[in-house]
Amino acid sequence: MEGWIEFAKGPLFAVSFSIMILGLARHVVIQIYSLAVRKGRRLRNVPWRKIILDTLSWAIPVKHMIPGTRLFSSVSFLSHIGIIVVPLFLADHIVLWEQFLGLDLPQIGRELADYLTLFTMAALLVLLYCRIFKRRHRAVSTTSDYILLVLVFLPFASGYLASHPSVNPLSWQAAMLIHLLSAELLFVVIPFTKLAHIVLFIFDRISEVHWQLRPGAGDKVAESLYGKEVKI
Amino acid sequence: MEASKQVALPSAETKKFRHEDFFHVEPYEKHNIVEHFLEAFAAILHFTDYKALLDTYCSTNNKCNRCAVTCPVYQVTGDPHDIPCYKTNLLLEIYKRYFTIGGWVKSRFSNSFELTEDVIDELAELLYRCTACRRCTRECPMGVDHGLMTRLGRYILSMIGIQSKALHVSVREQLTGETHNTSKVPRAALVDTLEFLAEDLEEMLGISFEVPIDQTDREFVFFCAVSDYLMEPDTLMGNFAVLKAAGDWDNWTIGSGNYDGINYGLFYSDWHLENIIKRLVGEVTRLNGRKILIGECGHASRSAHDFVPIFGGKEAYPVVSFIEYTLDCIRRGKIKLDKDIITEKVTYHDPCNIARSGWIVDQPREILKGFVRNYVEMEPHGIENYCCGGGGGLVSIDEIHDYRMEIAGRVKAEQIRQTGAAIVIAPCANCKKQLKELVEYYKLPCKVMGLHDLILKALIIPGGKSPKVRKEESAMFEM
Repeated sequence: MEGWIEFAKGPLFAVSFSIMILGLARHVVIQIYSLAVRKGRRLRNVPWRKIILDTLSWAIPVKHMIPGTRLFSSVSFLSHIGIIVVPLFLADHIVLWEQFLGLDLPQIGRELADYLTLFTMAALLVLLYCRIFKRRHRAVSTTSDYILLVLVFLPFASGYLASHPSVNPLSWQAAMLIHLLSAELLFVVIPFTKLAHIVLFIFDRISEVHWQLRPGAGDKVAESLYGKEVKI
Repeated sequence: MEASKQVALPSAETKKFRHEDFFHVEPYEKHNIVEHFLEAFAAILHFTDYKALLDTYCSTNNKCNRCAVTCPVYQVTGDPHDIPCYKTNLLLEIYKRYFTIGGWVKSRFSNSFELTEDVIDELAELLYRCTACRRCTRECPMGVDHGLMTRLGRYILSMIGIQSKALHVSVREQLTGETHNTSKVPRAALVDTLEFLAEDLEEMLGISFEVPIDQTDREFVFFCAVSDYLMEPDTLMGNFAVLKAAGDWDNWTIGSGNYDGINYGLFYSDWHLENIIKRLVGEVTRLNGRKILIGECGHASRSAHDFVPIFGGKEAYPVVSFIEYTLDCIRRGKIKLDKDIITEKVTYHDPCNIARSGWIVDQPREILKGFVRNYVEMEPHGIENYCCGGGGGLVSIDEIHDYRMEIAGRVKAEQIRQTGAAIVIAPCANCKKQLKELVEYYKLPCKVMGLHDLILKALIIPGGKSPKVRKEESAMFEM
């Protein structure tokens, strides 16, 4: 078991983390390419100031609380705090960041991390509850929406168990191995699922850019489908 | 059996999804429809920039459902199919399955999503239930533009012949017909109408008018929704009176080659959108004008304002909305409005096409508050406003009148009722038509008008009759 944990902490972590970074970098490169190269001069028509302010307003979306979705929206926003803070700044994780990336991040207290973890797990369960029991949410939810919630839940739950032997029905080794493997699985799926929004949120509010349609494209599409003599 | 096939509208009470009620889309050839759809989709992805957009939405669409509570249609029907995200997802599913590697791989390992005639039927039905008001986009944490997706879906469908008949017949006439406008108003009829309007104005204001047609080298070339010449003479007279009072009478003209600002391409087809914009720009070039002045029309203003810079090329003339022009005249003291004329309670409806982007929100309010004593706001208003229920071209589709009244416009009707206003101002030809129908349908005690209809009543014309005299005269006339 110890050997497995070492393997998961070492090479497996490096590989899965690299997949995530490369996958996310690919997203950013494609976004910038599709903006800069494809849209080109049309970018001058875009109200950039408005887009930037709008994007910033969603960082802490207090003014976007609207009736009818207060529970889901506030819970999903608050869950992000734990999801970002705990993996990055927990004392045990900082060792990993230093070992692999040479980053020296500040650490948060263990007690705060515990509360955040519990809160995040509760929040994820509320989101899962909404998806399962509320008709409106269920109508648009697909398998991946449920699976991803569970997948995000797992590292938090197993991490909490590993650091609290009193509530842990498993051995420390088992909890730790589940923690590592589930986190690494999450790293791998991030770039390929909607979780890619951890970088793509920067490009979220640029629909005005996409309204800058391509001149001449309409005629070409019609001609390619119906030939030169196309009739309206 | 026959009866059940007739217009069986999903009313607010039944709340049922009925995609077989295919009443508002031109009949189309069902043979090989799936193949045609995918061909059209592929061609569009190849020649346009939509692929990047779809890729982004595939990775960010979180399906959080906030859009549902903002959608005026879903609020009334409560039908999950009306959730904006559901529609967007349907299109994204098709894209993922047929145009991405991941979708192809998935389809090899499971009975995943498959495009069928039924899905296309459903898509067509759902996309033409959406008013493309883009209220949901503002509240989407991921910024998914459901209005743009609705439009893209309609564009693909239109390339295989599934399109609203009402919209398409108009566009066909505008681009290839003899009259080159959506209402089939021939040039002679235009000239007659303008003479008639000038006579009316002369009688009303006491000064002479001769509307300039085909004058070259003018600053403004004027385009309004051509239906205004038939249905909204007061709005046009208001426009003309402002131009006259501001001393800009020799600065503008109407072109007889193209006098229609309507652009239904904005609602369903890039192809038509671009060609109509090019005709608009071409007319200004022919007359050697310098600016495009768009009358009171939401989608005409937006399509010219947003797309002339893109499709106009080197001839991308500046686009001025008539509301902006009038406000400018007021600010510079070129026109004055009598503050004692309008005593009724007035409210203002924001047309989605000009308000959602924040372009024209404060301007009309500044004008109205300058001369209306009793002004009241709808809640919510401005950028957050509710659609009248006729957006996205729906208002032109008479077949879905009941849907527009019972479902799409219900929230708006309630909003108007709550203001208790006697006059609803809507500076948009489409909104005016829909709101007038709503007022009649829900028996609301108010009158729907354009902004310039109201301005005309209070406008002080140098050398003409005063607004007070005009008010007394019209009161006598009405008695």
